[in-house]
Amino acid sequence: MTGFPTEATAFPPGFTVDVFAAAFEASPTPMVVTDPRRDDNPIVWANGAFLGLTGYGRDELYGHNCRRLQGPATDRATLAALREAIAQGRAFECELLNYRKDGTPFWNGMTVNPVRDADGAILYFFSAQADMTHKHRLEAAMRDTNGALEREVGERTADLRFALEQKTALLHEVDHRVKNNLQVISSLMLLKARRTPPGEARDALQAMAERIGALSTAHRMLYSEGDAARFDVSAFADDLIADLAAAHEACAARVETEVEPLALPAAMAAPLALMLHELAGNAFRHAFPGGRAGRVRVSARRDGAGMELVVEDDGIGLSAGVPNPTGFGRMLVEMVVRQLRGTIAWSEAAPGTRAAIRVPLPAEAAP
Amino acid sequence: MPEVRPASGEALRILVVEDEVLIALELECLLEDLGHVSVGVASASAEAIALGRSTAPDVALVDIHLIDGPTGVEVARALSADPRTTVVFMTANAKRIPPDFAGAVGVIAKPYSERTVASALDYVARCRSGHGPSGETLDGFCLAPGAAG
Repeated sequence: MTGFPTEATAFPPGFTVDVFAAAFEASPTPMVVTDPRRDDNPIVWANGAFLGLTGYGRDELYGHNCRRLQGPATDRATLAALREAIAQGRAFECELLNYRKDGTPFWNGMTVNPVRDADGAILYFFSAQADMTHKHRLEAAMRDTNGALEREVGERTADLRFALEQKTALLHEVDHRVKNNLQVISSLMLLKARRTPPGEARDALQAMAERIGALSTAHRMLYSEGDAARFDVSAFADDLIADLAAAHEACAARVETEVEPLALPAAMAAPLALMLHELAGNAFRHAFPGGRAGRVRVSARRDGAGMELVVEDDGIGLSAGVPNPTGFGRMLVEMVVRQLRGTIAWSEAAPGTRAAIRVPLPAEAAP
Repeated sequence: MPEVRPASGEALRILVVEDEVLIALELECLLEDLGHVSVGVASASAEAIALGRSTAPDVALVDIHLIDGPTGVEVARALSADPRTTVVFMTANAKRIPPDFAGAVGVIAKPYSERTVASALDYVARCRSGHGPSGETLDGFCLAPGAAG
């Protein structure tokens, strides 16, 4: 295809070359025509919009090569590609930094294409332009904004990371101190117990040291895995009951634990530890006098919106047991159950004693 | 008081490296109750290393945080260089222990129970006498990677 009118592309009657020229002249799109057959491919025609864009008059453009519009920051590689396309008679598209007559630069988005005669020989090059300065300015502004945003995000992230590191370090420090202090308190109690003659005072000290031991077990289980907010009640109960059984190795009763794995909130650890310690401890201490055999069973399972925890033994039972002069252990259990907003039912299990505790669980406590 | 023999039959000579005086004192009483012998208590790293050299204990129970800072790790490294000494960390700060355990065979987590200390020492005694470990679960006592079996 040469671009010259054929029958199919012929103008309608009355649409003369003059009309066509008038349309081009009046077009808001800057246009220019160069003649490659003349020396240095000079401009031979430009429309009003082109004059408006470049600031030059026709007399300043006609007869001159388009390089008149170039300047110091015009991209050499794009120019070379444009020149090569013209030399090969190919169409070309690019955005080039050009300069107006007054020296101000503008981004010129242009298409250049050859105009051929009926035999295909190149007569002219036709080029339409568009001022892309605004687009380039927007792009540059966008790049700046993005850069600034990225810097800001980077700074914020660094701040947050630092704060998180501080928080983690603080948590470790506090955890370490709590554990160490529990050890010191426990050691203090036991040391005093060792130096106290056998009797009520010594027993009380020993019992307190054991309760602190139960709290210590609770604390040791917390934070030992990733989640600082929850603990697994199953491993927790096994550990606690094994400790208790070892502390009462004189008791011949067998221990059974059957605790479902439930992830409970960390705040429940200490109360549960105290409660289990009192209930199971009582069974070991009082239910099997004189080397009597039997079993102590601790079970816990999810029950609807709560947890049911049962500590039972087949020992001598509540009524037959030596009445505890202070009933401190039982009071402790009832206080803890109240703190957990639960209920406790004591019963004679014939034989033995059974304590069934129901405590509500937060909805998200999951296996 | 009748002499108590430890479960494994062998009384261990034990060095306690601990900066909390109360914990150290109580631990010594506990070790005695379990039928072991304390060769001394050190509360700082230099003291611990010197005491280790002069007494060559069977076991060193080493806290990470000592009077001169978190120096328990280097104490463990120095003490475990002597093949006669088995090092066990005893700390509330297990996260400070390096991946290679600085030559220690394991860690007793604080706060510990008497049972944990007893079973950890029993484990060490069995290993030292050439018997395999009892296979019993060791709550609150974690073995160093590669120390088991």
